Amino acid sequence: MDIYDVLLRDFPFLLKGLGVAIVLLVALLIIGFVLGLAICLLQLYGPKTRLVQWPLKLYERVFRGIPIIIMLFIFYYGMSGIFEISAFGAAVLAMGLRSAAYQSQIFRSAFQSVPSGQMMAARAMGMSKMVAIRQIIFPQAAIHAIGPWTNEFSSEIKETSLAYVIGVVELTRQAHYIITSTQGNVLTVFAVVALLYFVLNRVGNSLLYAYERKLAVPGFGK
Amino acid sequence: MADDLILDVQEVKKAYDGVEVLKGISFGLYRGETKVLIGPSGSGKSTLLRCINQLTVPDAGRIYLNGKEVLDSNIDTMRARMGFVFQDFNLFSHLTVLDNVRICQIKVNGINKDDATQRAHRELERVGLSERANAYPAELSGGQQQRVSIARALAMDPDVLLFDEPTSALDPELTGEVVRVMQQLAVEGMTMVVVTHEMSFARQAADEIIFMENGHIVEQGTPAELFDASASDRTRAFLNIIKEHE
Repeated sequence: MDIYDVLLRDFPFLLKGLGVAIVLLVALLIIGFVLGLAICLLQLYGPKTRLVQWPLKLYERVFRGIPIIIMLFIFYYGMSGIFEISAFGAAVLAMGLRSAAYQSQIFRSAFQSVPSGQMMAARAMGMSKMVAIRQIIFPQAAIHAIGPWTNEFSSEIKETSLAYVIGVVELTRQAHYIITSTQGNVLTVFAVVALLYFVLNRVGNSLLYAYERKLAVPGFGK
Repeated sequence: MADDLILDVQEVKKAYDGVEVLKGISFGLYRGETKVLIGPSGSGKSTLLRCINQLTVPDAGRIYLNGKEVLDSNIDTMRARMGFVFQDFNLFSHLTVLDNVRICQIKVNGINKDDATQRAHRELERVGLSERANAYPAELSGGQQQRVSIARALAMDPDVLLFDEPTSALDPELTGEVVRVMQQLAVEGMTMVVVTHEMSFARQAADEIIFMENGHIVEQGTPAELFDASASDRTRAFLNIIKEHE
């Protein structure tokens, strides 16, 4: 059986690995989005006391300042001594919490790009702060955020392959299994895997670009 | 007459870093009245206007709208009753002209979308921009943007309109269209306070002009009294400088 037959036979495993990578990606992006947005809103509109702001800043610095592989080791091997956690769970948590730190910065700079006159006008018209954020500031921040967010999306797709190191059976590990069982063919197998990552990345990016075009407003931000 | 007192400003004071910008300003505004605030830059006119709707929170003094005091606790309701027109328009840049004029009616006043749309079209027609309803702010000239922002304020059916130097950010050839809208509003009996350097507007449209300097009201009176027979050297000096520049 040559490598192409093996690839054809084992392709479902690669697809399964791709599926795991996608679920990991979506889960970590959701955690990153929700937590990142909450951090950003607290940083911008929350109490300005050190008690609130300092931990947020520390969180953001720590999760942006430590290599993701170390984070994965800490969350899997480190935490499993304290409570039961699957490799997949640890990967979602470590990568999701890190993405939150990055996404909070994307959102913060997007919110700050909205001119202060927008909030002032909304308040002057009788909107409460909450309504003004929801109706006026958020939609404009979204337009500013979507470009940088697409970058974050792209890098996280690629970083899901790092979950390999704690044994998550995602795409890269499925590839590794094929290589081990066929003793070689590294180039061909990884080329196929690279293509799968690349296609996923392009599809995701195209969807996000389409959304960016949908949000676009003539003359906005120029 | 007393219950026709729309706006009652009492002894408003404001200081920045120990420098008093408003040193106890009082005035009243009656229904249908147009009051124009004039004075040199730094005299406190804009600060006073912003104190009225608390965009700037005064250090002391009281503001009454229709006999009810403007307080922290009722500020959103009170602001909805006071239209504010900014020097740099501040239209919501992600919304079309129509949505700019609609959104606060819907989200603040709780008016249903159909009625808000109708009202928006009516106000856009009033400022001569019904054909630009689907444009975005960035696609409009400054003068057009300012007229939309006036329509946005009018659509809230406010008790009073506050104008903060509405033509100062405009190229000279664009001020006319905005001034004409304001003049028309004055004629129609809108209650307004206008901070402006447009002396022709002050002369033609004001029921009363207030001349401010250094945080004080120096003099107030009808356009004729101030422009032609001012009792104050300061007022005359200021008006002469303005005249030279016109």
